[in-house]
Amino acid sequence: MNPIIKSIKDRIISIWKISDEVARGKAVETIEYELEELENIFGVLVLGSFIGIPSPPMQISLDLMPFMEKELILMMEKVDTANEPISQLFSVLDIG
Amino acid sequence: MNKATNIFFVGKGGVGKSTSAALTSVFLAQKGFQVLIVSLDPAHNQSDIFEKNLSDKPFQIAPNLLAIEIDQEFWIKQYLKDVHNQINKTYSYLTAFNLDKYFRVIKHSPGLEEYALILAFEQIRKDFSQLDYLVFDMPPTALALKFFNLPSLSMIWIAHLLALRQEIIQKRELITKIKILKKEFERDKVLKKIEEQRKQYQTLKDTFEDRELTQISLVLNPDKLSHAESIRILKALQDININLYRTINNKIQINSSCADFNDAFSNIPMLNFPYSETPLIGIDNLQRFLKMNDDQFEKQLRKELP
Repeated sequence: MNPIIKSIKDRIISIWKISDEVARGKAVETIEYELEELENIFGVLVLGSFIGIPSPPMQISLDLMPFMEKELILMMEKVDTANEPISQLFSVLDIG
Repeated sequence: MNKATNIFFVGKGGVGKSTSAALTSVFLAQKGFQVLIVSLDPAHNQSDIFEKNLSDKPFQIAPNLLAIEIDQEFWIKQYLKDVHNQINKTYSYLTAFNLDKYFRVIKHSPGLEEYALILAFEQIRKDFSQLDYLVFDMPPTALALKFFNLPSLSMIWIAHLLALRQEIIQKRELITKIKILKKEFERDKVLKKIEEQRKQYQTLKDTFEDRELTQISLVLNPDKLSHAESIRILKALQDININLYRTINNKIQINSSCADFNDAFSNIPMLNFPYSETPLIGIDNLQRFLKMNDDQFEKQLRKELP
């Protein structure tokens, strides 16, 4: 194959790959945010007694706690943006 | 195979749950059954009734009869220690949360009391499965009902948490798929734990509801107060699908009767324990009382004993 054609083909493939990745990234951005919110809700629901929210029987929380480090970290992070939920939503939806 | 039958004694404070439990266990042991009497009541009357220093190690009271007292505090401490150790093992950023501080407070949390009793109950069923009868002297009404209610209540929460967790996992898998990530997801540990919990509570619920496996005796006296509370206990247990096995009319005197009070319990087998002039303390007194009333007990219980 002509080296020029080959190089053009490789470029096209690489552009295709990158744009595919970007498109896929964009496509799941909202779902990822939703997932993060769900995980946060799960964390708050299970470990709510630590922040004064009605929670399941203590032993359910305590049994699950060893496996919920990720949720705990997420809950801590969410506290930072808890004051501005609308602005956070706008940034996720890419408005403004 | 867990063949031991559980007999629980519930009722208003002071009606004679502990004495009825002690009498029943001595009676069954005399009939040749292997019996363990367990005091789940933090007041621990069994030590006083048998005049022995009982502890969490089984003590031989009489031939065929062992006794144990459950130390609630010990079970709570042990449980929290296990959770804490597990957290230390799995968390990488433990220091950021300063969980130690919380754990010192958690041991006073409501709900742990009855869970400690549940843990003790499960352990006893495991350790003494080869016996014929496990007789449980229960704490007064409030804690006893929380104990029986714990599996049902937990199952409601577990069902909701399970649904939410499954949604999370579904979303996570969707993202992995769209992004064509090569990453293999290991089985979600939280989901696995929730499923384990569901199994644990379902087994407990089944055990409490199974009349072959669990007999709940409601002890009452011929007075209006104990009767009123007994009706509340009956209804509370029926709400969670647990049926009474029998009522025990305790401290019956010649000219007193429970007949006026017993409409609500008309469908439940009844056992009468006559009033004893001498205090029922010490194995000898218990045995003497049983001997005096042998015919009556024999007649009442013959149908039930295997």
